[in-house]
Amino acid sequence: MGSIWQNLPVILDGLRLTIQYSIVAILLMVVIGLFAALMRLSTIAPLRWIATGYVEIFRSTPLLVQLFFIVLGLPAILPVNQWFGQLTYPILAAAFTLSLNEGAYVTEIIRAGILGVDRGQKEAAQSIAMNGFQTMRYIVLPQAFKRMIPPLVNQAAQTIKDTSLLAPVGIAELVYKGEIVIAETFASFAIWGLIAALYFVLIFSLSKFSSYLERRLQVDKR
Amino acid sequence: MINVKDLHKSFGHNEILKGITTHVEEKEVVVVIGPSGSGKSTFLRCLNGLEKATSGEIEIAGMVLTDPKTNIHQLRQHVGMVFQQFNLFKHLTILENVTIGPRKVKKIPVEEANRVARELLAKVGLVGKEQSYPDELSGGQQQRVAIARSLAMGPAVMLFDEPTSALDPEMVGEVLQVMKTLAVEGMTMVVVTHEMGFAREVGHRVIFMDDGMIVEEGAPKALFSDPQRERTKSFLAKIL
Repeated sequence: MGSIWQNLPVILDGLRLTIQYSIVAILLMVVIGLFAALMRLSTIAPLRWIATGYVEIFRSTPLLVQLFFIVLGLPAILPVNQWFGQLTYPILAAAFTLSLNEGAYVTEIIRAGILGVDRGQKEAAQSIAMNGFQTMRYIVLPQAFKRMIPPLVNQAAQTIKDTSLLAPVGIAELVYKGEIVIAETFASFAIWGLIAALYFVLIFSLSKFSSYLERRLQVDKR
Repeated sequence: MINVKDLHKSFGHNEILKGITTHVEEKEVVVVIGPSGSGKSTFLRCLNGLEKATSGEIEIAGMVLTDPKTNIHQLRQHVGMVFQQFNLFKHLTILENVTIGPRKVKKIPVEEANRVARELLAKVGLVGKEQSYPDELSGGQQQRVAIARSLAMGPAVMLFDEPTSALDPEMVGEVLQVMKTLAVEGMTMVVVTHEMGFAREVGHRVIFMDDGMIVEEGAPKALFSDPQRERTKSFLAKIL
């Protein structure tokens, strides 16, 4: 058992990487989702087509396949490793693919949130001469955001769990480091149990934080 | 102030407005009445571009609304609108509801916008509610805030789309009182309403619409006491 304790820093290093990938993917997925949602609701047809195509493609194929395709498949036909660097490309590509995948779901969450705001709110904003951007920025999005928090937190939890799919394409994170430690110690049960517990702690604190956030917004802004 | 020429509006194959021609003078209060589905709300919504006219011409405060080159946001600064459902911004305080237009659209500094807003809230009888949220106010209070919100943009014309229809009966009076004050002060107003008392007392002219057309128009006294058309007679008989 001593060797498990010796390998604890390796596991914690994996946890740090998982947290890093999660933060990057969660931030990016919201930005991507916001833009794609606005495109899906645009009056300009080509923007709608692009956004709809993006959402459908990423929702209708498995994340693992997308990761293999972009991280390992793309270098077979394009010199991406030379463009971005042999070590950097897989990391960038994996983080970006994960963000795009989660962003597709976020697009639908944000779109539904925007559509859920009463039409009268938009008309009232227009009637005091607000343009489309001002109406979105000051009236529609702030109201949509509040109702989007629960599904967004749900998606963030999903994203944290999905970072584990980076391991099969060779990106070091919690699962990847765990496999290394197991290969050395053969402590399968203990390590997988520890990894599961670490994911649980991450996601449980996230959901606690979100209920706190929801309560705050409920009290301050009805 | 407002000139409407042969205004048509269709939703798909359904023609709601079938050629409306009328005009509204400066400082005139025009009341539009008619059965539901007659197109009176659609007519009003066309006047600030919330509905796009299918054909015809609308000119307001010297700008041609139906000209695609006209900046609709520019025009709307001169045309206030009050809705049946108030449509106050639910996430903003009463004060913010009134100031957000001047601040964000007209780029007026916040102190100045707040000062004007407090004056307007006093005018509609809502001193002390500045920091409340719309949900905390009664319907009548919310509608008075909505009027103040519109006035804050300094409009030349105010449009009212059934402003008292969603209110409990005891709150109708307070809203009509505010509208009456506006009328007396010389605001140009177009009011879609079922309040015949208001039409009679405050209106300079009444337009009776049915089936997407203006059936009859005239001074309230004349129209109510001596309607010329059968359709007007039967409508008035039902509601008076």
